[in-house]
Amino acid sequence: MTLLRVLAARLAQSVPVLLGVSAVTFLLMVATPGDPIRLLAGDRVTEEVAAALRARYGLDQPIWRQYLTYLGNLAEGDLGRSLRFRVPVAELIAARYPVTLSLVAMSVAISLPVTFALAILSARRQGGVADQAIRLLGTAGIALPVFWLAILMSRLFAVQLGWLPVAGFGETFAERLRHLILPALSTAIWVVPILTRNLRAAILQEMERDHVAAARARGLSEREILRRHVLPNSLLPVLNLGGVMLAALLGGSVIVETVYALPGMGSLMVDAIFARDYYVVQGATLVFALTTVGVMLLTDLASAALDPRVAP
Amino acid sequence: MTPIRIAPLAATFLSGLLAPAAWAQDDTLRIVTPYHVTTLDPIRSAAAGNIELFGQLYARLLRKTPEGELEPGLAESWEASEDGLTYSFELREASFSDGTPIEASDVAFSLNRVASDPESAYPAAYASVEEVVAVDEDTVELRLSAPSAPILSYMEIFNAGIVSSDDVEARGEGAFASDPVVSGPYQVEEWRPNDRLILAANPEFWREGLPRIGRVEMIEVEDPNTRTSMIEAGEVDVAVDVQWSQVERLRGLDGITVPLEPSTWINVVLLNHDAEPFSELAARRAAVMALDRQGVADAITLGNAEVAGSILPASLDFVVPQEAPETDPAAARALLQEAGLEGAEVTVMATPGSQQTAQILKALWNAAGFSVTIDQIDGGTFWERLPAGDYDAVPSSWYNETEDPDLAVRWALCGTYGNRAFYTNYRNDRVDELTEAALRETDPDARAEMYAEIQRITMEEVTNIPLYDRPFVIAYRDRVDGLRLTPSLQWTLEEAELAE
Repeated sequence: MTLLRVLAARLAQSVPVLLGVSAVTFLLMVATPGDPIRLLAGDRVTEEVAAALRARYGLDQPIWRQYLTYLGNLAEGDLGRSLRFRVPVAELIAARYPVTLSLVAMSVAISLPVTFALAILSARRQGGVADQAIRLLGTAGIALPVFWLAILMSRLFAVQLGWLPVAGFGETFAERLRHLILPALSTAIWVVPILTRNLRAAILQEMERDHVAAARARGLSEREILRRHVLPNSLLPVLNLGGVMLAALLGGSVIVETVYALPGMGSLMVDAIFARDYYVVQGATLVFALTTVGVMLLTDLASAALDPRVAP
Repeated sequence: MTPIRIAPLAATFLSGLLAPAAWAQDDTLRIVTPYHVTTLDPIRSAAAGNIELFGQLYARLLRKTPEGELEPGLAESWEASEDGLTYSFELREASFSDGTPIEASDVAFSLNRVASDPESAYPAAYASVEEVVAVDEDTVELRLSAPSAPILSYMEIFNAGIVSSDDVEARGEGAFASDPVVSGPYQVEEWRPNDRLILAANPEFWREGLPRIGRVEMIEVEDPNTRTSMIEAGEVDVAVDVQWSQVERLRGLDGITVPLEPSTWINVVLLNHDAEPFSELAARRAAVMALDRQGVADAITLGNAEVAGSILPASLDFVVPQEAPETDPAAARALLQEAGLEGAEVTVMATPGSQQTAQILKALWNAAGFSVTIDQIDGGTFWERLPAGDYDAVPSSWYNETEDPDLAVRWALCGTYGNRAFYTNYRNDRVDELTEAALRETDPDARAEMYAEIQRITMEEVTNIPLYDRPFVIAYRDRVDGLRLTPSLQWTLEEAELAE
């Protein structure tokens, strides 16, 4: 199959996935009790005004009608308007999405080199001191609650030492980089151990292979063997796990974005749920779903590039 | 590149990234608050975050001095007719932020809009307004259907701000989308919904030389720990709603003060008068007697709030301390027994913000013979179940946007206003009568007496249980001078300064 046909097939497959996601989200939101109007106009709005607002925003229509209207608008590329802010959902997402993507990119940029270094160090002498220490630290990293750790790091590095900012995203590129360090570190601390375990296991498995033994017999240095024979073959399982984790990172952004007050998709989503801002929740969910579909596609394409036996 | 060559580069890079921030030394004032700005249109919301903002964007006919006296605002002078039905305002020369003059027609448009637009979120203050008419270019006439004692003071409140009629007519809802034409001290530089609002001084503002602070950022952060960290690290100058547990610690830090300023917030327990057992006066009185209100206030606020002396917030006009039944769990149980209500089941709704109070209620009420279960809900559910009367008791709080008690009484005690006495379904004809009479009564002494009677009746009949008057807990860095939040939720930004 050519790349184009793969892409077309994947896009076609993603349509029912996205439809399903939107239907489930809509049903969940509707099933949650709550009134967006109060949260919008204040506690003191009278029943009459609340009713007028509900009618204006179409919230007095039957559920199926609301959903159909929503789907109709969606088909025209219109994500609707935020009930709470009266601005287009697309605008809110456009402002937020890059922040979360930057956070994910920064987390990956911090995690990958560390993962490789630690996994190779571990695998080089299985059961050695380094291996044991890395496993212990890794377990700690996975076990520590992100929320707690994030608050702790913010207290230490931002408040006590004053090295890094506590909250927000900044305006310039350099500022943004600074703002992302702590959130990305907080994320890396649980991502790195998982990826390290996986890569270490893959490396060890590869090391046992016949072709590695053959390479060793040919007199190649351990360094050469690792670089040319072991690592390329160990990447495949890690790549697949990485794809799943990337999607998880998007979802996991909620906690980190809350603690560091990063104006990203995660905090937008949580606030929108509490405010019953239906269309924002819908829009954000769709973007999350689309991103996941995209990441999975990229992962599969990369797998195919690494290993010709894998069909994308 | 070899590691050796990378090292110095990386070091330079890292030291650049880790350089101490240069916040809090520029001329932007930063306020971090949990309250969201959701609209820039002054008539569309009466939620706290918006109220705080509207006063900065839109000037009103009158102003209030720090002492609470009314003084000229956009109106240079005013006079009332003998019968109290017509008020006439003379406007001063002033301009909107786009340079066009503020005319009587703009004032009439704005006030008619808040009084009678079907989407005006909180028109209660203007119930007696028949119409507002522009007599000539700089004279506005306010015509009432019945006298209203507080009407002049309502010309100063958050939603009485003057908007540009030309602009609103030209742009419709879009006029308030991102860059409204304003009449107040500040205009919108940038609004990032759900993140921050950036204000810049309005060069056309009628009070010359004001505001002194050129730029203000209102940053919305929900997490209280983060807000505290931000002011400690010097990233913001003002942090709103500091947790009670952090007050003492912040006060111990250099450069930060945490004054507790009077607000109209009052924490209460709402009781549903339409459901057993609180439909019975005996049960409501027992519920009060079972509560050690001082203990509750101390436990929640760590001794930082006063027990509510009246059912109305202490900082309102005409509020006088009332006698409350003494705390006596044994007597409360006896009262319940007598009424055959011992063991009566009570479901207490609890939102995340009122967990602690709900737990205390449960313990104290159980000790006096109620049988309490707690029902955990979130804020959205609260606003669905409360108006529907689907509850027995719920800890809540409320505030009043004005210092005149009229709106407060209508909101919390009066049965004829749309919300049935804050959804408690309490109804007392005498209270309703007094509410209307007090609005029309222009003699302050007579008004005082009426409000005293309302407070007496509703305390006796336990319309709700007032727990404590809660001050604003706002932390300020020392370089901020002259800034505070008034009880009616307006920042005194206009005259505040940043020290060098």
